[in-house]
Amino acid sequence: MPIDMPDKLINQSCSRRRFLQRLGLGATGVVVLGSYGFNIHREPVTGKIKVIAIDFEKCAGCRTCESVCSSFNHQTLVNGKKLNGLGNPSLSNIRVFHYNPDIDIPSTCALCDDAPCVEVCPVEPDPVTGRKALYRDTELMTITNDLGRCIGCQSCALECSKRRAGVIKPDPDTGSPMRMCTLCGGNPKCVEYCPYDALAYIELDDDRDLSNLAPEKIAEKMIKKLYNPNQEVN
Amino acid sequence: MATQGYYGKLLEVNLTEGKSKVTKIPDEDIKRFIGGRGLGAKLLWDRLKPGTDPLSPENILMFMPGPFSGLPIPSSSRTCVVTKSPRTSAMNSEFQNGSTVSYSNIGGFFGPELRFAGYDGLLITGKAEKPVYIKILNDEVTIEDASRYWGMGTDELDKIFHSEVGEGRWESCYIGQAGENLVPMACVLNTAARAAGRGGTGCVMGSKNLKAVVVRGNKMPNVSDLEKYNDLLEKVRRSFMEKNQNVISWRHGGTANALTSSSRGGTQAVKNYSEGTFAEIEKIGAEANREKIWKRDFACFSCQLACKKSGFAKGAYNVQVHDGPEYETGTMLGANLLISDINGLQKLIFVSDDYGIDIISVGNTLGFLMEAYEKGDIDKEFLDGIELTWGNVEASLALIHKICNREGIGDLACKGVKALAEKIGGNSSDYAIHVKGHELAAWNVPVNSDSWAICYATANRGACHMNGGSAGRQDSACLRDSLGACSFASSWYRGDLEYRHFLAAITGLEWTEDEFNKAGTRIFTIEKMFNYRDGFRREDDTIPEKFFVNKFTYGDHAGAIVDREKFTENMDKYYELRGWNKQTSKPDDDILKELGLGFTI
Repeated sequence: MPIDMPDKLINQSCSRRRFLQRLGLGATGVVVLGSYGFNIHREPVTGKIKVIAIDFEKCAGCRTCESVCSSFNHQTLVNGKKLNGLGNPSLSNIRVFHYNPDIDIPSTCALCDDAPCVEVCPVEPDPVTGRKALYRDTELMTITNDLGRCIGCQSCALECSKRRAGVIKPDPDTGSPMRMCTLCGGNPKCVEYCPYDALAYIELDDDRDLSNLAPEKIAEKMIKKLYNPNQEVN
Repeated sequence: MATQGYYGKLLEVNLTEGKSKVTKIPDEDIKRFIGGRGLGAKLLWDRLKPGTDPLSPENILMFMPGPFSGLPIPSSSRTCVVTKSPRTSAMNSEFQNGSTVSYSNIGGFFGPELRFAGYDGLLITGKAEKPVYIKILNDEVTIEDASRYWGMGTDELDKIFHSEVGEGRWESCYIGQAGENLVPMACVLNTAARAAGRGGTGCVMGSKNLKAVVVRGNKMPNVSDLEKYNDLLEKVRRSFMEKNQNVISWRHGGTANALTSSSRGGTQAVKNYSEGTFAEIEKIGAEANREKIWKRDFACFSCQLACKKSGFAKGAYNVQVHDGPEYETGTMLGANLLISDINGLQKLIFVSDDYGIDIISVGNTLGFLMEAYEKGDIDKEFLDGIELTWGNVEASLALIHKICNREGIGDLACKGVKALAEKIGGNSSDYAIHVKGHELAAWNVPVNSDSWAICYATANRGACHMNGGSAGRQDSACLRDSLGACSFASSWYRGDLEYRHFLAAITGLEWTEDEFNKAGTRIFTIEKMFNYRDGFRREDDTIPEKFFVNKFTYGDHAGAIVDREKFTENMDKYYELRGWNKQTSKPDDDILKELGLGFTI
């Protein structure tokens, strides 16, 4: 069908500056990517960090991120060949939550500097590696669980829901933590495939408000911003 | 083992008995009818006696995803709601309750979730004693008390329902008060906006005392050739991600882009279809909405087009609208009623969605009554004192409230234009814009009448704008509706990425172009046979008299009218091409046998 299209909509690019301008909520909900050797569990450095940022204004709620996360992180062997899995959303580490008034909030492991989930893990550190059952991977900075040592106490999931986004969920059978972001080995598929450029791999100041990461809290702010009845009458 | 890509499982809930069971879907039916609309039509044929009262406990209400549903194939989220229509009637049927099939598909996340729960379809029969909802958590299926939600609009329900059902992320479909009140044009919705809008699906749901179906699951249908499927998926995702002009325009305006273009082209329903162009369309077009109303674009499961627009109207009609005008709602409650107040339009859409009523049918009905009032065929008393003049937002709102609550004139008006014209008498049936009792949608007929007249006259659910203007297009639509694919995205699925290649990779069955097209014809034809069995004949395949006698007076297409003889000629050709009897419209026995529909003879 013939369309009237303002020029500004064509060539809509996602420059870093523009993206930052659009974030609108400060850096709330920004997800840290511990790459480029930036060691975020040490004393906070005053400099920048390279992160996946979520632009809550752009997410259209299609959940493609869930499918590609699940596909990549749950691959399957077919005739000796490793293939991406079917993308069952219930196995995804990133989750999109829908609210009414209409807003969709993607939520994923924030790789918090202080990692309360690791802190609360009651398993004694291994004398050689210094790792508890739940630990931070030194290369990618992801939170990783050692299934062999995990006792399934669910403390990490509880702590995450009490103090952070509530991303970590216990496996219903074993109680061991699920849904920690793997960063897909350094090339996060959710970012690569997001059709709406709502996820970007980007360098930011680490001024995140880690106590306000819960999707319902972010939704509340966004709804106020978007659908405020007290807006100026046109 | 079931055909790959399917569970082979139909969840059946009998609300009279309060019981559920899982039955096996025969492989043969899966291969021949695919899923969604097609499998629904087959079940409708098998399960219902001719002449079944659509609002009796015997009628079945089905939620039918397709083999694509739940797989992240872009824009394939759709679920077809299939039932026997409470909207349609034949001119001369031996059955008092003779009516057509009803199929209406709905986007969002419900169909995928039903598949995640482990089912290829949900079939509901019987009638609950008191209001209930069906709760499906994988293999656990329960019938729950819904008295707390009965009487609730879809917006309020949508806000509270899922968190009260239980932990985790649920998906649901439900009715508003219109369905509860057995308004024939009531629909089924999810997310307080997306609707299986047409064909009275919500009325059938209400007749079963069923407020909602809510589902959550963590399974996944299998795929036969994962490598080939992954390859196709990657290619089609990449082709969407190129973000060509087509993607950009869908995101920019959705179908509302057509509000202005269709008006210019003379194909819009304006002033109860008297005109094809609306002088004030710019005031409620996509650009105006983008500027003043829309705040966000929303996508269905795995969709890259995001055609749903949510926004906020300010001023006197202060309202948060879950799906600001798209082409159908903007035309039927806008142009067709000569309403150009953009905020008033949002209010009308919100209220209709909240009650859960088919906006196409209710907009068409308001247009009919406005014309009848203007012509003096009815007076103000007939309208319970409502000054129902063209362009009147307040009067339209008042009438929608009456229709959805079945108060006063609303008790008759809720039955649509055919019933109203029968009551009003005189020449009013000439401008009652319906086919088989089902109101026409927002695309007007006279310009491109060769296509639109066939599209509306031959649609199996009564007038339907999605039917297609030729046999080939109709069969393709059947296939999309059966796979779970969205028609808006069909242009990306061409060449190496045709739907049938995906279906072949999913099922491991070979799907040649001929076999695939034949399945589409089979699905269309079994629906036709269902209608024929209930008494529908050639005389029912027509278009309203107005199109043969009314000339457009305004715009670039002034003078446009449908040529009666040409229409009859086109219909003859259509029946010939289909191999249907020109006098009765019955498909010939040879054709039925060739399609594997010998059992319908």
